[in-house]
Amino acid sequence: MSAVATKTLLEVKGLEVEYGRVRAVDGINLSIAAGEILGLAGESGCGKSTVANAIMQILRPPARIVGGSILFEGEDLVGKSTEQLRKYRWRNVSMVFQSAMNALNPVMRVGDQFVDMMQAHEHVSKRRAIVRAGELLELVGMDKGRVRAYPHELSGGMRQRVIIAMALALSPELIILDEPTTALDVVVQREILQQVEALKRDFDFAVVFITHDLSLLLEFADRIAIMYAGEIVESAPAAQLAESPLHPYTQGLLRSFPPLTGPRVRLTGIPGAPPDLREPPSGCRFHPRCPYCLPENAALYLRQTSERPRLRMIEPEHNVACHLVDA
Amino acid sequence: MAQLDPTALDLQLAVPKRGIRVGRIRVPGWLALLLRNRKSRAGLFIVAFMVFIAIISPLISVAHPNDFNLLATRQAPSWHHLFGTTDQGSDVFSQVVVGARRSLLLGALAGALATLVAAVLGITAAYVGGIVDEIVNLLTNVFLTIPAIPLLVVVSGYLRTRGMWTMIAVIALVLWAFEARILRAQALTLKNRDFILAAKASGEPTWRIVFGELMPNMISRIAAAFVLVFYISLLVDSGLEFLGLGDMSATSWGVTIYWAQVNSTVLQGEWWPFMFPSLALGLTVLGLVLVLAGIDEVSNPQLRADRKRGRLAALLLGRAAA
Amino acid sequence: MSALEVRDLSKNFAIGGALRRQQLHAVEDVSFSLQPGRITALVGESGSGKSTVARLLARLYDPSSGSVLYDGGDIARVRSRKEVLRYRSQVQLIFQDPFGSLNPVKTVRHHIERPLRIHRIVPSSEVEERVHELLTTVGLVPPDEVARKYPHELSGGQRQRVAIARALAVEPKVVLADEPTSMLDVSIRIGILNLMLKLKEEREIAFLYVTHDLASARYIADDILVMYAGQIVERGPVEQVLAEPLHPYTRLLLAAVHGERIEDRRTGASAAVDPVEGCRFVSRCPLAVSVCSVMTPQLVEARPGQAARCHVTAPAN
Repeated sequence: MSAVATKTLLEVKGLEVEYGRVRAVDGINLSIAAGEILGLAGESGCGKSTVANAIMQILRPPARIVGGSILFEGEDLVGKSTEQLRKYRWRNVSMVFQSAMNALNPVMRVGDQFVDMMQAHEHVSKRRAIVRAGELLELVGMDKGRVRAYPHELSGGMRQRVIIAMALALSPELIILDEPTTALDVVVQREILQQVEALKRDFDFAVVFITHDLSLLLEFADRIAIMYAGEIVESAPAAQLAESPLHPYTQGLLRSFPPLTGPRVRLTGIPGAPPDLREPPSGCRFHPRCPYCLPENAALYLRQTSERPRLRMIEPEHNVACHLVDA
Repeated sequence: MAQLDPTALDLQLAVPKRGIRVGRIRVPGWLALLLRNRKSRAGLFIVAFMVFIAIISPLISVAHPNDFNLLATRQAPSWHHLFGTTDQGSDVFSQVVVGARRSLLLGALAGALATLVAAVLGITAAYVGGIVDEIVNLLTNVFLTIPAIPLLVVVSGYLRTRGMWTMIAVIALVLWAFEARILRAQALTLKNRDFILAAKASGEPTWRIVFGELMPNMISRIAAAFVLVFYISLLVDSGLEFLGLGDMSATSWGVTIYWAQVNSTVLQGEWWPFMFPSLALGLTVLGLVLVLAGIDEVSNPQLRADRKRGRLAALLLGRAAA
Repeated sequence: MSALEVRDLSKNFAIGGALRRQQLHAVEDVSFSLQPGRITALVGESGSGKSTVARLLARLYDPSSGSVLYDGGDIARVRSRKEVLRYRSQVQLIFQDPFGSLNPVKTVRHHIERPLRIHRIVPSSEVEERVHELLTTVGLVPPDEVARKYPHELSGGQRQRVAIARALAVEPKVVLADEPTSMLDVSIRIGILNLMLKLKEEREIAFLYVTHDLASARYIADDILVMYAGQIVERGPVEQVLAEPLHPYTRLLLAAVHGERIEDRRTGASAAVDPVEGCRFVSRCPLAVSVCSVMTPQLVEARPGQAARCHVTAPAN
């Protein structure tokens, strides 16, 4: 864990994003301190990537922010000019996304792509930029001679490293990793994550790490927020979340990963499938899949199916949105 | 998202039972999709208008198109003769509306025939592969390398009968190869998709995989290929007739233009027997081209998404475009 | 009595252009057997050849050499359509991508009904009933409603259940599951794995479970095969192999998922392209000795039931 995180770097307040009529993100609050690793976990379609794109301000129509604010070092990004945003992107916040390795231009040498990117943001000579690119590649554990390589000459893991190196180029305060290793093999995945940890130690940037793989977050993140159907249902320091998950969805997720050691027991996972956000369930959005939502318990059942639970602080830094915890 | 769903258009074409409401009228889903696209909507209206004219032509034509009236030759357009008259005194308006029948029918039938041949050969070749594919490929290449228009000129020049069916057969003969090539290429990308392998693994016979599993997923492409060949046939047919290689006793746009040219009407300042059938032809082709463009846009969301993703990457890396 | 036996199976693919033709030894010298009522996990990284093995067994590819023994006959040599059909009715494949393995323009009913009709599993009059039975078995209820749906109307987990129902339709003896959960949401993966466990127990099916996920292999499998660059490098009972791995590659995999710090010296190219004599893992191996780069190790049973392809940890006598 990093030193005492004091300065709030980024704050997301009541963020609401709609795709046409579908509300993909419905009132989310997040704050990221400088140098912190925040994990954002959830299944496909829960809105976690939309949050990332909103922070990065790269939402494209039909997606649009319909409510809330995103404050970077106290300044609201919503409503900034294109030119201001262009400067903010990559210099303050950069992003590595899942298919990022396909974002490299196949007909340009890796080094030239660094040059392009750097020259778009600052006045720097080509020679200077290439040297810097080589240094960056070395930082992510690659040979600096690879600046001369074309993307197709690199493996998937290597290309992902190149993208990470690019994300580091302007030493941003925050890097968003959106499923950065999902398409990679376990060994490569492990190496890249080790690399990110090491780089973070050296450069002290904050990280928003988005993944569906909760087990990875338990290991790498300082704090974890669990998203379900466009909302945050639980957030807590990683150790605490692993130790005492309070939301039934978090509990279910943790029960969905078979262990590699210890006795072999049957797991249950979570029945059903994530909801269709065009018609989100009434009340608590998790109630159709919740094992504790039983008609027998009439009073609670009525609340669960009709009233939306609010995210409440249960312990310092541990927030949960669940009627069970209130009761 | 790795998901490659069928285009909505394919689904709607292959599963025609679902209707979609547009206003108060219930229309087939595929039509609704095409009507929502600006290009194909405009194209469909144009084509529908031409077809409508062709259907009601006996009702609106002033006279039998080949009736001649030597008392009213070479008249400029007027209320009496909307499109004027020819040097024989035939009513050009009647020739254009009645000619629409033959031109459209011939184009559509030639397109359909070429599409049928191309779909069966192209898709089967792609799926079966091996020697069958080699042979079909060779055949398409041969037909593609033969210059189509000279071949048509030669073939139709030697034919004794030049009835409509002959023309259809001749045009289909030179055009099927274009389509077969397109459809084969598209079938090749589909043939290794898991659902085809799954069908194969479950023991489906080849013909069922080709016609029952592959083809329904290609309907929008087959439709696009049909529209393409439809308007090429229209142009080719009119071109042949213009060169005097069609059935010169028939009434069609090409024939009217032919006679206008033979009698050098334009040189004498009589533009109307030339202009009006040409306009009809141009308008129809424009309509079909628009429909084709619409089909392309509706059925290639993947392409559009890719383009968007490209922009996204550029934006992210702060390249010039952003 | 094994349900399916694989002997020295190999598959090469020609890659590269006409000038620089190379041979990819996607599968080399693979031998194992599948037992009724047991799940065998086949694990490895992408490109290790594990999916190719499943597809060879499903007869989607013809092997370059080796044999697949089923019911006394060598399936790799069978050519007659009738024989192939019979084999396919007993050895079924479940694909990785539930979005790609169902025909988008066909209903769920079509997917399950076709195998029933092709292989004449039940008389025509009972097809409908059997379709509903199968959908219920895989947990898709109400079956009549699900049967009418199109793939795009189902979630990923539901699609994979349809694919499993399709595989079960022909009452197979062997099911080859090629990463059946890797494209599904985390919370529903366990459901699919549990379904496979249930089917194994109730129907005495022999499963081959192809995966890159060691934890899920441990969760459902009885035996494990670890593949690297086209070869099986370790084989044995799953608990034993994962508790005390012999091969350095298995150890590396385990270290990666255990969250241990790893040092890997991977080189760019896959070791399976134009392989030379020697161990294919040698360039990444922390234990390598001189013999490793000159002689290809054989699978040697170093502990009871557990074999590895390594000169150091499982030396030949």
